[in-house]
Amino acid sequence: MSDYLYVGKDIPRTIEADKVCGRAIYINDLKRPGMLHGKILYSRYAHARIKRIDTSKAKKLQGVRAVLTGYDLPDVRVGFIKDQTVLKKDVVRQFRDEVAAVAAISLEIAEEALHLIDVDYEELPAVFDPREAMKEGAPLVHEVDARGKPVRSNILPLPWKFQAGDPEKGRRESAYVVKDDVRTTWVNQGCMGTSGCIAEFDMNKNLTLYSQTNVPFLGKQRIQEYLSRLGLGKSNVRVLNPVVGGSFGTKLDTDIYEFIAIQLALQTGKPVKILFTREEEFFALPPRQPALFNIEQGCDREGNLTFREVKAILDNGAYTSWGATTPSVMMMPISSLYRVPNVRFDATCVYTNNIYAQAMRGYGNPQATFAVETSMDRLAEEAGIDPAELRLINCNRPGEETPMRLKITTCPLEACIKTVREKIRWGEKRGKRNGRGVGMASLIHVAGGARVYKSDGHGIIVKVDQNGRVDVLESGTDQGQGSPTVISQMVAEALGFKPDDVSITLGDTSLCLWDAGTHASRHTFMAGNAAIQACRSIKRQILEMAVEFIPQIVTYAIKKKKQKDPNFREPDLDWKLVASPEAMDIKDRYIFPQKAPDHPYFRTEVSEILTRGLHVGTGQSRVVIAEAFYDPPTEMLDREMKGNYSMTYAFGTTAVEVEVDKETGEIKIVQVFAAHDVGRAMNPTLVKGQIYGAAYTGAGYGLTEEIQVRNGRVMNANFRDYKMLTAKDVIPVEPIIIEVPDESGPFGAKGIGEPGLVPTAPAIANAVYDAVGVRISDLPITPEKILSALRKKDVC
Amino acid sequence: MQDFEYLMPTNLDQAIGLLKKYENKAALIAGGTDVMVKIGKTRKAPDVLISLRRLSALRYIKKNGGYHIGALTTHRMLEQSTLVQSELSALHDAASQVGSVQIRNVGTLGGNICNAAPSADTAGPLLVLDATAVLEGPLGRRRVPLKEFFTGTYRTVRKPDEVLVEMEIPEDLGRYGSAYWKHTRRKAMELPLIGIAVALKLSQDNSQILDSRIALTVAAPTPIRAYPAEDFLKGKVIADDVLKEAGRIASSADCCTIRTSLRCEAWYREEIVRVFVPRMAKLAAERVKNR
Repeated sequence: MSDYLYVGKDIPRTIEADKVCGRAIYINDLKRPGMLHGKILYSRYAHARIKRIDTSKAKKLQGVRAVLTGYDLPDVRVGFIKDQTVLKKDVVRQFRDEVAAVAAISLEIAEEALHLIDVDYEELPAVFDPREAMKEGAPLVHEVDARGKPVRSNILPLPWKFQAGDPEKGRRESAYVVKDDVRTTWVNQGCMGTSGCIAEFDMNKNLTLYSQTNVPFLGKQRIQEYLSRLGLGKSNVRVLNPVVGGSFGTKLDTDIYEFIAIQLALQTGKPVKILFTREEEFFALPPRQPALFNIEQGCDREGNLTFREVKAILDNGAYTSWGATTPSVMMMPISSLYRVPNVRFDATCVYTNNIYAQAMRGYGNPQATFAVETSMDRLAEEAGIDPAELRLINCNRPGEETPMRLKITTCPLEACIKTVREKIRWGEKRGKRNGRGVGMASLIHVAGGARVYKSDGHGIIVKVDQNGRVDVLESGTDQGQGSPTVISQMVAEALGFKPDDVSITLGDTSLCLWDAGTHASRHTFMAGNAAIQACRSIKRQILEMAVEFIPQIVTYAIKKKKQKDPNFREPDLDWKLVASPEAMDIKDRYIFPQKAPDHPYFRTEVSEILTRGLHVGTGQSRVVIAEAFYDPPTEMLDREMKGNYSMTYAFGTTAVEVEVDKETGEIKIVQVFAAHDVGRAMNPTLVKGQIYGAAYTGAGYGLTEEIQVRNGRVMNANFRDYKMLTAKDVIPVEPIIIEVPDESGPFGAKGIGEPGLVPTAPAIANAVYDAVGVRISDLPITPEKILSALRKKDVC
Repeated sequence: MQDFEYLMPTNLDQAIGLLKKYENKAALIAGGTDVMVKIGKTRKAPDVLISLRRLSALRYIKKNGGYHIGALTTHRMLEQSTLVQSELSALHDAASQVGSVQIRNVGTLGGNICNAAPSADTAGPLLVLDATAVLEGPLGRRRVPLKEFFTGTYRTVRKPDEVLVEMEIPEDLGRYGSAYWKHTRRKAMELPLIGIAVALKLSQDNSQILDSRIALTVAAPTPIRAYPAEDFLKGKVIADDVLKEAGRIASSADCCTIRTSLRCEAWYREEIVRVFVPRMAKLAAERVKNR
């Protein structure tokens, strides 16, 4: 047991009581004086030429303040590889293409105005299957690249090629080799709060953007660049977060609607709010990146992995957002989940006329781990080895360096596998093929930041007032994960104050220092490390004051006592106990000598010292403040796509027991054990919350969730037809926290935001195979797929 | 535009009077779980919405000379009624699976039936319970057996100036048991991919099927009875192969016109009918024995 007072404790999330009581101010609630409402008109075709846009009727509608089309805006390109404009002109390339936008005095009028905009299209041949799109002669989604040069192919100039060791040699040395095609699909992040923002310019064209972004600083940078290209290089930009109702990856890119709100605000000189409907959330917001994998791997007679080779094709959709960079994370499980010496991974991103994709919890890892872990089971069967055993044989170990040059620090993967194996009673339940089965899958994920940008830094400012109240200006964002609670615990621990003393301000580019973004499960890790640095300085400042003021306070107190009581005998005090900051410490708001923590005279409440430091009556008054900027010593991926991009990596294993109805193909999840390596849990309840939520979403990914895209159009843009699991679909998840404190983490913590999702779907797929003997390598695993596969099997 | 006038009569006569007054400009609204969704989706509303909310006299579940369920009875009331649970089990199965608790608190039986969706959850159970709809209009009351009530998708025999007052179920259910299966992809907030309701009347020794009724939802443009499958079962001794054959008949083109939609392919829907007619028949039989 640690002797920490607050970290590691189940402190409730009382900081967020406003959310529970309906008082929290989400973007939906936020109003600005004179605010207008913006709406967007989307394309009616997957691929078409715009022949004519007539906005005259819409402009005449009473209450409409602006109608914009691509023809009204300068040709400024935005996005990760600058392959789109804010409003599209000449050609639309997907159904969600933003063709026009309206600002009006009410939402109803803005909606009405959209119906009054006439657009004539000439439909163009479109392509929806990335494999078709790769072929010569396929319709080109883009005829020119960002620089205006003609292109010949739909393949993105973004090749992902990774190789370590000699895969051919590995293959030759294999006793067993398996090969499989795996398909994962689009899924929606399903945030409770829909997307929205308010853009507001002052008279000097300085912009305040109330944005739900998880990357306020990168967002600000993108917007600042955009404004410069519009000729507004002198504008200052402030990005502010309202309370955010979930992100799960959706808020990593600056979305087109945000640029549209900015344009409407510029045009009208009024604040403009755009708030998505749930339907827009489904078709106009980039979902999880789908991928097609071809995976091949082998092992020797003893079960040691010999090679792994994966080819992936990613449907990029019509434009490029962060979906196209998911291979940088796919590479991690492909190269580094289990010890495999020879690895090759190629990923090709292909433009199609489908919706484009973005980040979602796990960022490429769930897709790739589904391929790797279902293939591991196939290999185990081929080699005649128990699947749990095959995983143990190839288990990652502490201190090793993987083929991708990831430096594994702590690694309790073996404990994770063995724990869930025992919990689910693997030996007794496996291999029955009686409609009930067990399966497992593991994961590796970044858990100590992720250097995807050249700065993976994170800043924090801590200030303490004369009453001993602590304000933390934290550069990350809170999208509902509970960061404020965890950060207040860590700050209180590092300072020797109480969590209730700490107020957290997040998501404000004017108040806070740079942060690369609240993504990659990095917030606790980064904020904690920065907080520890800042709090060390704060503590020093307070203790230096204590050295000065404790003798004054004590001497004065003794003098008073003497005056009141002539018989009072002055104690013989050892002043050395408070002679230097090093001799003292702070805990629970009390300053005390380390050698005599309960000293009757020297033990002093912090506010006494802080008040004296400020209200000194001379020109010497002091405030207590410190800032820290933590940028971990990690590496960017090099040209070979290798490099240690995180300080530490998290492991975990999920075991699932399922029951399959052979007549209907329906799957019932009987139990789930999810063992996760978290370094040290800062708040076990919140850690479990992350695991529950992630495992649930993982089960939805495995079983029910799929955005149905037909010829480029989203067909199920609502929660009725998009089957996210509900509270009634109780999945009995038992989270198991495996603690091996990691030296690089604050108080030993690793990130845990994403891992729980990653192994869930493959563990289910493996359990289904164990139950009824069919492998479904196409997500989601629907009853229809199982029933069809069972029939095929019966026929054979 | 979506503007409409909202009127709240406090008794049936007022409601019928308002319907007569506004004719085709008006529509009835009870719980609003279908009407408001439709208005939101189509962005079109009738000029006048006549709310039946204050007609609390039409919220009841009674047993006297048959079962009488007022049209304004909510799904939640049906779910919480022990009478419905023990004697009209299929209806209980259906009502307790509609949407979510919040939706069941406002959505009404009358609304579910009058909306006449092919997927209406309570339609199948009411069909196998041989229910009759009681309508009231300016010309008085009339009774229409539910099997003749639906005329098409979202269409019924109800005239624009009529209000559905109650559903009547004949009393003699002593040897009957019933059950309803809503096939879905998750456990709440769902429409059925296919719905199967079965009611069986068994002989005193529970061995012989004296009467059988089978209803299917989402298997045709309206909720339907699967008469050929019912006829096949009548008089048979209850046994696995007999029930299996009934499932086969019910899923065949003799009984239904199952189609592929975005939500589910036809072959799988047929498969579910084939599998769940026997399963629900067994459950219904089980319930006869346990009464």
